[in-house]
Amino acid sequence: MSDVVKRDTVIPAAASQAPVLEREALTAREFLAFVIAEETYALPLHAIREILKPPPITPVPRAPGDVLGVVAVRGTITTVIDLRRRLRVAESPPDKHTRILLVAAEDEVLGVLVDQVLSVHRLLDDEIELSGVVGGDLSDYVLGVGRPRRSRRDREGERDTESETEEILVLLDPEPLLD
Amino acid sequence: MSDVHEEFLAEAQEIIESLSRDLLLLDQAQKEHGPELDQTTSELINEVFRGVHTLKGIAGMFGYARLGEVSHALEDLLDQLRLGRVELDPSVLDVLFEGVESFQRLLVDSPDAPEVDVERLLQGIARFTGSGSAAPDDDLLGYELDPNVLSVLTEYEEHRLRTNVRQGVSLYRLKVRFSLLTIDSQLEDLKDRAKPLAEIITYLPSTGGGDGDTIDLDVLLASSAPYDTLEEALVDADAELLRVSRRSSGESPDRRTEHEALAPSSSSTPLPAPPPAPTPRPPSAAPVERREMSPDQLTLRSVANTVRVDIRKLDHLMNVVGELALVKSAVGRISERLRGRPELRQLAIELHRINRGFERRLEELQDGILDVRMVPLGQIFDKLARIVRQVAREHDKDVKLLVTGADTEVDKLIVEELSDPLMHLIRNAIDHGIESPKVRELADKPVSGTLALNAYQKGKHVVIEVEDDGAGMNPQRIVETALRRELITEEAAAEVSREEALNLIFMPGFSTRSAITDLSGRGVGMDVVKTNISRLGGVIDVQSELGTGTKFTITLPVTLAIINALLIRIGGRGFAIPITSVQEAILFEPEKLRTVEGREVMTLRGATLPLCRLDRLFRLEAAEPPELDADGTPPRRYVVVCAVAHRRLGFVVDGLDGQQDIVIKSLGKSLQRVRGFAGATDLGDQQVALVLDVPALLEELLGTPELTALEASR
Repeated sequence: MSDVVKRDTVIPAAASQAPVLEREALTAREFLAFVIAEETYALPLHAIREILKPPPITPVPRAPGDVLGVVAVRGTITTVIDLRRRLRVAESPPDKHTRILLVAAEDEVLGVLVDQVLSVHRLLDDEIELSGVVGGDLSDYVLGVGRPRRSRRDREGERDTESETEEILVLLDPEPLLD
Repeated sequence: MSDVHEEFLAEAQEIIESLSRDLLLLDQAQKEHGPELDQTTSELINEVFRGVHTLKGIAGMFGYARLGEVSHALEDLLDQLRLGRVELDPSVLDVLFEGVESFQRLLVDSPDAPEVDVERLLQGIARFTGSGSAAPDDDLLGYELDPNVLSVLTEYEEHRLRTNVRQGVSLYRLKVRFSLLTIDSQLEDLKDRAKPLAEIITYLPSTGGGDGDTIDLDVLLASSAPYDTLEEALVDADAELLRVSRRSSGESPDRRTEHEALAPSSSSTPLPAPPPAPTPRPPSAAPVERREMSPDQLTLRSVANTVRVDIRKLDHLMNVVGELALVKSAVGRISERLRGRPELRQLAIELHRINRGFERRLEELQDGILDVRMVPLGQIFDKLARIVRQVAREHDKDVKLLVTGADTEVDKLIVEELSDPLMHLIRNAIDHGIESPKVRELADKPVSGTLALNAYQKGKHVVIEVEDDGAGMNPQRIVETALRRELITEEAAAEVSREEALNLIFMPGFSTRSAITDLSGRGVGMDVVKTNISRLGGVIDVQSELGTGTKFTITLPVTLAIINALLIRIGGRGFAIPITSVQEAILFEPEKLRTVEGREVMTLRGATLPLCRLDRLFRLEAAEPPELDADGTPPRRYVVVCAVAHRRLGFVVDGLDGQQDIVIKSLGKSLQRVRGFAGATDLGDQQVALVLDVPALLEELLGTPELTALEASR
């Protein structure tokens, strides 16, 4: 988890910018942000069991196309899938940032290959646009779009604001995504 | 589900299992001795009574109302039984069996559990408990017994006393003095010593003897053992054994004189005057537990030296052992590397030695855990015996069950999975196999049919046989049915061999009876039995002789957890094949290849061996042709000959990497539909190898066994 901790800039206390009244009416949810093919996605933090540096993956002949193969995680054989194939984005070779997220789906823990793990975001309800609002034909595994407030980050000054552009997280719903 | 609740289920399960065991014994005793209860039989009834009572108690605690209701009614019936008011006959046993059967179903709280008709069951029980039998004649008067003692006997005790007297068993009184401090253990000890020789009818404290620290007990015994033997076993410093003599025939069996007859003078052995027992009961203040121990205490004691463990915990331990094995090989590699450095050689040797020790302990640990997982097949055999009895009675068939090898042990997981297939085989054997007594008589066979359930270990396998001496299967009729169900073609049917015909019963959609009976027709056929067995890595075979009987033979691995495997390489990737399916590995000689109807075959010792190129099957073919060896020939490849039951297939592989003990782990749900792999195994060093599911691959590549043979004959 070291990656996450290091980059962790928006942990609970940061949610202090919303007006008091409003904040009390809102609930916050935590998401882990990561990159796949240069897009930033995020999964609910509670669904993430572990972040692994990818061990050699054993391909499984005859497995569905988005299954990369299996790895052994402390004695348990875990299926690793490549979201790029499911999200229909271009594939890229693994590098030193590549990680496997262990995500708890309905009946098993699945490994999800990602290009890079970013940080944990604590999003208030008004920072989340649900997929219904966004419209278009988004797949059912897209929960919505997260827009963390820039202003908060600036004032905390923990990060170089210059490199930050307006950040958009595509929030994913683990159940339909991994089904 | 909460832990406590699970604990309840486990305990209830245990009670139900022991209940059915006891009922079977009771059934046997009833068959041998008829309704008269001897000591062993009445102890059995007591045992069942206690079990039902305990179950009633815990069912109440956990809100299983219907379970409580049924156990309450059964308890009543059992009480009447031990009091002799209800005779132990087959119809009573039926109700008891049915009751215990219903416990099982009432316990399963799932919506798809079969409905239990509690009302009907309760009515069935009430039929017996409603009326008691007539009061027995008073044959106790012939004995010199204190009427005051008689007056405080419980109904049950009095019944036991009468039964013993009727059977001509001698009565004794044992006067003992116990210390108040140790009375519990002394009493237990006395019971244990008496048990093989005598039945303790009752014990009462006598008010006469005993100072503040001791208490005198008057124990009434019934025993057929000679006085001397009894005395030797029971009498020590503070005790005295007296025979209760029969009143001489001349004396009047009048109650008043009987009371006088208690005077010491009337007895051949000088009797110390029995203290006048207080009526009604001795003061309850006496620190004596006069009755049997309470049922709860008894059950608590009997399980004290065993532990119930969730199988998942053992799985977890097994995983930890697997991890340790990886640590071991990592240390091994380091010591190898150190060996290469002359200045560290000594250290390397030391490390190697330590690692060897570690390895041995690890093996012990592994064996230990495997051993804990092993349970005797007797666990399901008991359940099956109950079913045999039930099915036979329902079908008016006379069936004797012969069980051998009930102590053969297999992995708990296998036992669980075996119960359904075996149950189905047994139902089939009784329903379709064994003939009715009349038919058997006409056929000159013993009236009662025999169903044998044999288990034995054979190398690393366990063999279970289900054999009946019934009508056997008619291959001709099987083929006709298969034709009618369009499972085979006319041409194929014409050429089918006897053995092939028998194997047709394992095909999906096959059922020899047009009407589904309530017994065998539980919606599953032999194909499901076969699938279940092969899922366990086992095979099922059938032999049958018309008029003589049918025998199913199931061969299973002893344990699922650890197997020996052959490691192979295909297209640069490692796979494992369970060694149990491997017959041999030979060099692949492409020039010996033949093609028969598009399928590659080779000749192995005069027989045709179909081949499968795994690299093609799994699409692992190298993009470029393999590099040539130094002498300009292509690299060697091998054929691994695999066999399951009578079918053989050669897998062409790129390399053999030796044998290894592996722990098979199942693949996740997401890969459940991928055919051809039994699971995967962690080889250490982050390497995972897939384990081939040889039975499934053979099925896939050769078709179902029946059809292959038929196709080949076309």
